[in-house]
Amino acid sequence: KLLARLEGRSSLKNLEPYLFAEEGSPVHGDVIEFHGPEGTGKTEMLYHLVARCIIPKSGGGLEVEVMFIDTDYHFDMLRLVTILENRLAQRTEDVIKQCLARLFLVSCNSSTQLLFTLYSLENLFCAHPSLCVLLLDSISAFYWIDRSNGGESLTLQEMNLKKCANFLEKLVRQHHLALFATTQTLMQKSANSAESFFPLKCPHETDTDYRPYLCKSWLQMVTHRIFFSKQCNSGNSKGFTVVSCHLKRNQVVKRSFSVEECGVQF
Amino acid sequence: MVVLRTGLCPGLTEEMIQLLRANSIRTVVDFVSSDLENIAQKCSLSYKALVAVRRVLLAQFSAFPVNGADLYEELKSSTAILPTGSPSLDQLLDSGLYTGEVTELMGAPGSGKTQVCLGIAASVSLGLKQHVLFLDSTGGFTASRLYQMLRAQTEDEEEQVEALQRIQVVRVFDIYEMLRALQELRDRLSQQVVSSMGPLKIVVIDSVSAVIYPLLGGKQSEGLAIMMQLARELKSLAREFSLAVVVTNQVTRDSSTGALKPALGRSWSFVPSTRVLLESKETTLEKATTERVASLAKSPRQPTGIQVELNIENSVMPEPSPVTSTQGP
Repeated sequence: KLLARLEGRSSLKNLEPYLFAEEGSPVHGDVIEFHGPEGTGKTEMLYHLVARCIIPKSGGGLEVEVMFIDTDYHFDMLRLVTILENRLAQRTEDVIKQCLARLFLVSCNSSTQLLFTLYSLENLFCAHPSLCVLLLDSISAFYWIDRSNGGESLTLQEMNLKKCANFLEKLVRQHHLALFATTQTLMQKSANSAESFFPLKCPHETDTDYRPYLCKSWLQMVTHRIFFSKQCNSGNSKGFTVVSCHLKRNQVVKRSFSVEECGVQF
Repeated sequence: MVVLRTGLCPGLTEEMIQLLRANSIRTVVDFVSSDLENIAQKCSLSYKALVAVRRVLLAQFSAFPVNGADLYEELKSSTAILPTGSPSLDQLLDSGLYTGEVTELMGAPGSGKTQVCLGIAASVSLGLKQHVLFLDSTGGFTASRLYQMLRAQTEDEEEQVEALQRIQVVRVFDIYEMLRALQELRDRLSQQVVSSMGPLKIVVIDSVSAVIYPLLGGKQSEGLAIMMQLARELKSLAREFSLAVVVTNQVTRDSSTGALKPALGRSWSFVPSTRVLLESKETTLEKATTERVASLAKSPRQPTGIQVELNIENSVMPEPSPVTSTQGP
């Protein structure tokens, strides 16, 4: 089992180097947040990562197992299969199913159920040592409902998400996972930046439409934040931009990609 | 918040609950998040018993992961693509309305949203012989117009009547009535009652903005929470019962770019998987036409910006106009 872990440890480097500001990313233990308004390619990027993980080494992939947690019934299996068909040299049903067998999916319909599900998943991670990538789309899905259920108290409103964030951190640390989570741009950036309690660490945050609204426990565990936006050039409806910030080392890089039939292409 | 009580699981005794409560563990969440060794010591309960209870509670309340290959098998057999009745619109949507997804039609008043909805209802009912649930919150549904569309497609009177009978219309005037109608639908589908309602594959809601607008605005987030609850209900119905859900929405102008965007704000914008904008065709003549332009604003499968022309007069008939493909803004 230890050998499988060590083997898995070096393999995430080639997951998607274009997404990161420095070489060698991501490493196990990283928590990467995809942030952006709707239609900016966050979910497409997740499909791209899934494809990169589950495609066998013979096809150029990493051949690792992936867990995908879907909180707003967004996951489109048929789209993933189209992407796989476009990337594999052999497009037979058997090969596709072999790839898909490396993917685990779970749908949660409330923040409470998400919390329980995370607790249950602990066993799954123990039983599958090659399961080292966790994707969560999206962690902000329950924001308004939780806020309303919590009444006047901010603590109560954030309680479930805080517990989820804490447990996710524990899972990431104990099982050496890489966690990618999407958050939606639900609010407009306040014109008065003094209003935000969290100092802007990344110089590019002033450009982007970013207004932190999730609980502190989550904000503090994020190691990389990647902002997604659509390119506004006329005549290019398929172009998107990512601005990737490594929060601890303060490194930033900006790249563009487009979404084709075969998925994300840098 | 589910409170711990004896009925929940076999190993959970009243004595245990009292001891736990004395240590401020009242709900299932409290129990499952706490350190069981610690609790075993403090409450002098058996660690093994606590672990067993935890396992049962987790199994009850959490969601189960499925394997990708199994899910794919399931979806291959349950996903259907429903024709809208308009071949050019079908082409825009990559063959039609996909089950398991929420599709949004947005447009200004008079752009033809209700007509397209009626066309869809007619097409699914007559063409596929399947049932349709139509939730009308604007009062725009007219049976006579629907009948007109059916008559344009078939001359067999019996078929027309049968098609009309397969379309169930529910008039809802606020969000609570809408949620109740959806709950009734859920109950009916769960029980698989094969009564007068046969196989249902599509729910059309005209319009969703009419019931949500009164909730939004102001500083309260209550309205947004109810809106997200509706969104969640629509998506889960679409997924769990393999339905196609069609909703209509208004448009507003973006204050900075001036482009048209869907109403109901940012949070709602994440909800539909596919979004089509309906507009009147620009015409120099003054008379009102039945020509419309539909553009694809959001799609999980196609690049956005494709446009087609529609004729809403007889939505179930093929139009002579060709498909034009342009790169949108």
